[in-house]
Amino acid sequence: MNPMRMLAAFWRLNLAEELQYRANFVASVLGTVFYMATALLTLALFFRHTTALGGWDYWEIVVLLGVFNALTGVIEAVLRPGIGQLAGEVRSGELDLVLVKPVDPQAFVSFRRLDIWRFADVVLGLALAAYALHRLHRVPSLAQVATFGLTLAAAAVVVYAIWVALMSLAFWFVSVENIAVLFDAVYEGARYPVSAYPGALRFLFVYLIPIAWTTTIPASALTGRLRPGSALLAAVVAGVVFALARVLWRTALKRYTGASG
Amino acid sequence: MAPVVTAERLTKTFRVKVRDPGMKGAVQALVRPRNRDVQAVRDVTFAIEPGEIVAFLGPNGAGKTTTLKMLTGLLYPTSGRAEVAGFTPWTGGPECKRRLALVLGNRQQLVWDLPPEETFLLNRAIYDIGEAEYRERLAELVGLLELTEVLEKPVRQLSLGERMKCELAASLLHRPPLLFLDEPTLGLDVTAQEAIRRFLIQYRDRHGATVLLTSHYMQDVTALASRVLMINRGRLLYDGALGALVARITRMKRIELVLGGGDGGRVDAETLAAFGEVKSFRFPNAVLEVPRDEAPATSARILAALPVADLSIEDPPIEEVIRRAFAQGLEEEGT
Repeated sequence: MNPMRMLAAFWRLNLAEELQYRANFVASVLGTVFYMATALLTLALFFRHTTALGGWDYWEIVVLLGVFNALTGVIEAVLRPGIGQLAGEVRSGELDLVLVKPVDPQAFVSFRRLDIWRFADVVLGLALAAYALHRLHRVPSLAQVATFGLTLAAAAVVVYAIWVALMSLAFWFVSVENIAVLFDAVYEGARYPVSAYPGALRFLFVYLIPIAWTTTIPASALTGRLRPGSALLAAVVAGVVFALARVLWRTALKRYTGASG
Repeated sequence: MAPVVTAERLTKTFRVKVRDPGMKGAVQALVRPRNRDVQAVRDVTFAIEPGEIVAFLGPNGAGKTTTLKMLTGLLYPTSGRAEVAGFTPWTGGPECKRRLALVLGNRQQLVWDLPPEETFLLNRAIYDIGEAEYRERLAELVGLLELTEVLEKPVRQLSLGERMKCELAASLLHRPPLLFLDEPTLGLDVTAQEAIRRFLIQYRDRHGATVLLTSHYMQDVTALASRVLMINRGRLLYDGALGALVARITRMKRIELVLGGGDGGRVDAETLAAFGEVKSFRFPNAVLEVPRDEAPATSARILAALPVADLSIEDPPIEEVIRRAFAQGLEEEGT
C-alpha cells in the first residue's frame, strides 16, 4: 500500500471530523494563548532575581519557549490523539482490527487521528519565537533558519520516538493509560535551556531522556549559539532514537502477538 | 478442491499471573509473581474447503476466539501449524492480510463522528482499491445490506444493526475470499440478525467466499453453517454437520401432541407417561420425549390409543442439546 495515500486519507478523515466542531478551534487557540502568557509571567518572575538562566538571557529563553510551544503543538495535534491512545486500544482489543490490516501498525496507530486545531500552537509558538528574536534585534541568517528547520524536525522525531517508546510499554503493562502524564512531567524540563540544570539532570536530559535535543538545540540555532556540527549531530541523534524506539515497538508487538513467548 | 484453511495440532498456551485475593495476595504477587500456564487451545486440527460456512460452537472461554486470532495472524501459536489462503497467517504479512477480513461483534473500526462512507474511503486507501472497483463493490454491498439511507449519517446516530452492517461493508470492500466473524450478531434484534445472515449467504454465493464464524445464537448456526466445529476447554470435540451432532448427542426425540375429540378430557398425565417421558402437559398440548429409534413406533401407538388432532416429531431445541452437550461432555454422551 502507498503510505502517502493512507496519510492523505487520514488527513481527509480528520479534517472532515474536526470541521464539525469549529468551536474547538477557538477554545484551543484561547487555551494556548493563556498558557503562553502564564509561562511568560513565570519567566518574568524568575528574571526579577537574575539576569540569566544557564547563560541565556530573558528574550533568548522566550525564543526557546516559542520552540517549546511549537513542539507542544505537534504533541497535541499528532502524538496524544494518535499513539497516545494505544494503551486504551490494547486494552479494548481495538488494536486487533489494526493488526489485521495490510499496513504498518506503527504508522497506522501514529497518524490515524489528528487534532488539527492544535497545529495552531505550532504557529503561535513560532510567532512567539520570532517576536523574541525581534526584541533581541537579531535577524537570523538564511543558514541559521535552515539549521533551525533541520533541528526542529529532528526535535519532532525525538519527541515522537519518546512517545513510541513510552506507549510500547502498554503491551507489557496494560494499565499504562496514564503514562502520558509521565511524559508531560518530564517534558516540562524542556521549557528551559539544558545548561540551566545541574550536572546529573543535564546528563539525564541529553543522554537518557533526550529532551535537551528538542528545545535547546533548535532555539540555539535561532539565537546563533549553535556550533555548526551540532545540527548534524541532532539529526543523527534523532535517527538513532527513532531506530531504538522502532526496535522497542517491534519487540512489544511481538510480545502482544505471543511471537516471543 | 484444496482446503483454504487448515489447522494442524494448533495449540496456544497463555502464561497468566496468579494472585491470591486480598492485600496479602497483592503484596505477594508484587514481590514474587507466580505464573500459571493456561491452555487456551489444544491440538486443534481441521480443514475448511472454499465456499464453506463453518461455525465454532462453544461456551465463553472455550478457545474459539483464540483460534480465530491465530488464523487471522493476531496470535502466534505455541505449537502446531496453520495455513490460510496459502499463507501461514502469523508470518504471511500484508499479502495474507489482503485475503482476509476480521469482523468483531463487540469492536468497531468505523469512525464514530463521521458517516460510514468516510471509513470506507480510508479502507479504500489502505487496500489500494481503484476508483471503478470501489464504486462497483460499494454499490453491491450497499444494495445487499440495504445501506442507502445510512451512508450519510454519522455513525453515532446509527442503530447497532446498521453499524454492524456498515462494519461488514467496510471489511469486505477489498473483497477477501476469507471472512472471520466473531459474534457478528451480538446484541442485534431479530430483524437485523436475519438481515446479516441473509447477507452472508448471498455474499458467499456470489463470490465463493469462505466464512468462519462464532456465535452464541443458535439461529445463526442453524441458518448459516453447513458444518460446526464444537470446541470446549480448548479441545475440538466435534467436526461435522449440525444435524449429525444433534443425533449423536441426543438419543431422544420429541413428540408434540395436540389432543382433540370430545373426550380429550379423559387423557391425563398418567396415560401419557405410558408412552414416554412427559416434558409438558397442558390440555390440549402435550410434549413427550422418547428414544430416537422408537419414535415412529410410539407415535403409531399414540395415534391408535389417544384422540389426537395433531402430532409431530421434533428434535429437542438445539440450544438445549448444545447446553447438554457442553454440560455432560460429548464423549460420554456419544457412546
